[in-house]
Amino acid sequence: MYYKLNGVTQRLTGAPAAAYNPQGLRPAVPPASPPLIFASPTKLVSEAGSQAEYLGTNRVPDLQKAFQRSDGIPVHLKRGRMDRLLYRSTMGLTVGGVLYCLVALYIAAQPGNK
Amino acid sequence: MAHQAHAYHMVDPSPWPLTGAVAALLVTSGTAIWFHFNSTILMTLGTMLLLLTMYQWWRDIIREGTFQGHHTPPVQKGLRYGMILFITSEVFFFLGFFWAFYHSSLAPTPDLGGCWPPAGITTLDPFEVPLLNTAVLLASGVTVTWAHHSIMEGDRKPAIQSLALTILLGFYFTFLQGLEYFEAPFTIADGVYGSTFFVATGFHGLHVIIGSTFLAVCLLRQIQYHFTSEHHFGFEAAAWYWHFVDVVWLFLYISIYWWGS
Repeated sequence: MYYKLNGVTQRLTGAPAAAYNPQGLRPAVPPASPPLIFASPTKLVSEAGSQAEYLGTNRVPDLQKAFQRSDGIPVHLKRGRMDRLLYRSTMGLTVGGVLYCLVALYIAAQPGNK
Repeated sequence: MAHQAHAYHMVDPSPWPLTGAVAALLVTSGTAIWFHFNSTILMTLGTMLLLLTMYQWWRDIIREGTFQGHHTPPVQKGLRYGMILFITSEVFFFLGFFWAFYHSSLAPTPDLGGCWPPAGITTLDPFEVPLLNTAVLLASGVTVTWAHHSIMEGDRKPAIQSLALTILLGFYFTFLQGLEYFEAPFTIADGVYGSTFFVATGFHGLHVIIGSTFLAVCLLRQIQYHFTSEHHFGFEAAAWYWHFVDVVWLFLYISIYWWGS
């Protein structure tokens, strides 16, 4: 855990870039730092005051934990049911669409039709 | 999950390139079927598939970057190169339409009356709504820069407000252009003037809508704490795209609206 001094605001900020995981070599290891460090308001909460609560709380640390679970599930299915539903509908449209397209083009290619 | 000994991103197997390619097939062949057989089913199917692909593919990129930490500095560098190359390709796209405009307007043919604007065309006054549109887009360039600085400073509230204002200005531009299109005394069918005017400004308008959508996604992400003061490339990419759209408008305004009137 480490802090930085922002030269412009002269304030301490939390560790940078939750999105850039310094443990990039081991993406499976969840970050050990307390959740506050990953919060986007890089001002300390006590200084930011009500700003930290403006338009909802920060759920990114929970999402990071959820998405970094070592369960071998690919990212497009990682959230379970909703992901699976969307994936299956999309794939259904894909396969169905290709078949429909081939039929339509076959019919269009017949000399009888315009 | 195996541990990697490098800073690059080995992507999980993904179905979206396939679904996207199929969407392109369905949209194009669907358009042909629509033209010849008066049926829009295939084209609509393709468009739905395209929207589903875009949503899920970009959702996954956000998951990989923000939640899984895959966007290390070298990876982000690649993303920057990618966005720059994409915008460059769009510059060439518009270059073509400007070429067409100047080809026809620098040497107007006898059937136009040998003059530009062609005989019979009532052009739009460049100092009315088009000038307002210029001011709107320039202002949105200022607000998006304000948003960027707010994000870099960690100022959550101003970042959200300035980003929202940018998007509103984008919508205002689109609304004003829509009104202009409705009220214009000429149509796309009015010779080469109509063609060059509506194709160039029409594609620009489409890019304004795309840019506004990109910024809107960034606004949602900013509200959800995805961006940090050090790492917010999604926003930077949107801002680059928005500046590009602004610059294209400036060229359109100078060339078609002002010089061409």
